[in-house]
Amino acid sequence: MRNQLRILRAQREWSQAELSERLGVSRQTVNAIETGRYDPSLPLAFHIAKLFEKKIEEIFEPDGSGNA
Amino acid sequence: MMTETANRSSRGTEAFVWGIVWVISYFGARMALEQMGEPQPDLGRILVALVPLLPFVAFLWKFISFMRAADELERRIQLEALAIAFPLAMVLLMVLALVQLATPLNPNDWSYRHVWPFLPIFWLGGQAIARRRYQ
Repeated sequence: MRNQLRILRAQREWSQAELSERLGVSRQTVNAIETGRYDPSLPLAFHIAKLFEKKIEEIFEPDGSGNA
Repeated sequence: MMTETANRSSRGTEAFVWGIVWVISYFGARMALEQMGEPQPDLGRILVALVPLLPFVAFLWKFISFMRAADELERRIQLEALAIAFPLAMVLLMVLALVQLATPLNPNDWSYRHVWPFLPIFWLGGQAIARRRYQ
């Protein structure tokens, strides 16, 4: 799954550590999501969307294959 | 007020420290028992053998506390670590059981005290593999 997390974070000039604090997850988790190595759970995705005041689908989108 | 991240980190550190105490107490008990002579049914020896249980229980308590506070990625890493470690432990014990049927194993080389350290090694190895995947 691709996502816009790094871009959105950069727009707000937040560090990964700062974002991880706001989300209540580890910095490793934020990094893994940004690099596409880890797909967040639905509750965490909702939390991210709420934090950035966007819809989930504006932040996360499936890969070209259509598989999540 | 302690943040969630700091709280998780603190619990992880506490579990790690108790893990170290446990390992030290294991080797301490082992050395003490070896210095007390040959194995024999003696209450004092049994009590010394059980000493490492105390720090282990503390380690387990702290580790469970750490896991309960862990975020979803850390939980996944731990799950994948166990998914690697448990089958490895099974296969080690299975192979030893079969080899033991094939040929006598020297208890000075292959006994519980030689085999159990493989289990935490597999677990730590599984954690390293799983962690690397998400870096």
